[in-house]
Amino acid sequence: MSRLPLSLRISANGACSLVLAFLVLPILSVVPVSFNRSSFIYLPPKAYSDVWYGRFFADTEWRSSLVHSIEVALLATAMALVLGTLAAIGLRRVGGRLRAGLAALFLAPMIVPVIVTAVAFYRSALDVGLNGTIIGMSLGHLLLALPFVVINVGISLRTIDPNWIRAAEGLGAGPWTIFRTVTLPHAVPGIVGGAVFSFVTSFDEVVIAVFMAAYGNKTLPVKIWESIRLEFTPVVAVAATMMILVAIALYACAQAITPKAREGSR
Amino acid sequence: MTASGLSLHIAGVSKRYGAFTALEPTDLDVRAGEFLTLLGPSGSGKTTLLNLIAGYIEPNTGEIRIGDRDVTRLAARHRNIGMVFQNYALFPHMTVSENIGYGLSVRGMPGAESARRIAEMLALMQLGGFADRSIQQLSGGQQQRVALARALVIEPDLLLMDEPLSALDKQLRRQVQLELRRLHLKHGRTTIYVTHDQEEALVLSDRIAVLDHGRIQQLGRADDLYNNPINSFVAGFIGESNLIPVTVKSVSGSQAVVEAEGLRKSFTVEAGPGIEAGGDAELLIRPEHLQVTGEVEKDERCGIPAEIVETAYLGELIQFTLLLQSGRTLTAREVAGRSLGLGAKVRVSWEPGRARVVVKSSTREKENKSNA
Repeated sequence: MSRLPLSLRISANGACSLVLAFLVLPILSVVPVSFNRSSFIYLPPKAYSDVWYGRFFADTEWRSSLVHSIEVALLATAMALVLGTLAAIGLRRVGGRLRAGLAALFLAPMIVPVIVTAVAFYRSALDVGLNGTIIGMSLGHLLLALPFVVINVGISLRTIDPNWIRAAEGLGAGPWTIFRTVTLPHAVPGIVGGAVFSFVTSFDEVVIAVFMAAYGNKTLPVKIWESIRLEFTPVVAVAATMMILVAIALYACAQAITPKAREGSR
Repeated sequence: MTASGLSLHIAGVSKRYGAFTALEPTDLDVRAGEFLTLLGPSGSGKTTLLNLIAGYIEPNTGEIRIGDRDVTRLAARHRNIGMVFQNYALFPHMTVSENIGYGLSVRGMPGAESARRIAEMLALMQLGGFADRSIQQLSGGQQQRVALARALVIEPDLLLMDEPLSALDKQLRRQVQLELRRLHLKHGRTTIYVTHDQEEALVLSDRIAVLDHGRIQQLGRADDLYNNPINSFVAGFIGESNLIPVTVKSVSGSQAVVEAEGLRKSFTVEAGPGIEAGGDAELLIRPEHLQVTGEVEKDERCGIPAEIVETAYLGELIQFTLLLQSGRTLTAREVAGRSLGLGAKVRVSWEPGRARVVVKSSTREKENKSNA
């Protein structure tokens, strides 16, 4: 980069900055909007106030929707981590066409339009009475989160030398001990990455949630979507700011954990 | 450490992968405390045999016993075998002492006893002070010693090594070879060592099994393999050799009369096992057994006329490449000192007892198999 002529460097940096601004500024604009004093959305706000934060936390429906979102996301993440990690390990063991076929199956939810998945899942959930339940929503989000875990853990597992497994086996370790002492330590970066992606995927998912949510257990995105259709007050911006904060906090946590894990796997 | 490993008995063990035969039915007996090397080129079946012994793959036929125990269908983790891998396969997320102690903690050994054994191993391998280092901080030679310590600390019945020195540079390899030999003499643990390096095999082993085409071609002491190779493959693989195609005219006892194009009409040489009259065979003459005579010296012994087309100094030895009139080249070695230069016209001869006719190894065998 530093070898480029000055003019090129300036224009390249400029272009990058513009793209970045295009991506980030609309998101960040939500934060000042949430501090509007009036009940209409002005940008920049004419006067600042935290009145809408008070409204957000005073309103049980907003509050409980945030709690529901966190519940659903935690459940979906936990299930995705267990199933996805096992799937990734299993995929390493099978060979050739079977692996390609199974991998395609696991990654399908990323490719199939979400609305199709949502309708199919809703119809099936009706049969077993899972619609309108927290666990039902978690299972729906599990579908979308699973590919992220399979991919991330799969990448981590590629750092494992098959001879490590054979060495451990030769030294007397059983399958469970090998998993605990050799496989897992090297899968940690992928598991952490997969967890963050899973949580965020579930936390801001709206399509499946709209189908599945009952009146009493809306998630935050569902509540935002409904509110926007009725009245467009800065409370929505507060809710959006909450989501951004959760995403940033998660990303920071992941960054704090992953470098240590990576160091171990090198 | 009084336990010094068990004997190994292999009977009729073979391994196929689809149509490809990695190992033909093989018998092998290794005495307790012996250092045996499986020597062969890549694809010869030596690593397959090692993995069968370790239990990483299951044989299609045959039986493997360690001591009195039949381990043919026993999982690797129940065999009590120490294995050193080509790339060491050390656990990079553990320290040196955690690596060495892995087999002990898996066995549930109490902390004090395991700490004592690890300390003993660290001292033995001259790794004192490295206990808490991470694997990445070690040199190749140190990693090699950690791998060996990890395999030995569990007091295995067999120690298996898969080309453990191939990642080291030549000088270090020499040094580690001698260390391995010293360690083995000290503890006498039964060791099966895989390598493609004949020199390494000669330095380390009590006995050597030479493998090719998924089959043990010959098993014996190093000098035995060198002096009495059973066929042209073994002759060519152990030490330097001149191999000349010949036709066997007649055989009587341990002598055969052979005929070779471009050499003397017909002559008598030592016959290796399996030589039959009328068959194709190869004449083996080691470079140090060829005598090169300057033409002017007019030796009355009837040598073959040749020209020196290449000379190479090997320190105290000099190596000549000799071009015969038939177009064939021979390699001869002698103590350096004479002034025979490039282009010199010479005569080549050998002492009658030093030439030996051996069975010609087939090279087509393998192709047939992989096509089958």
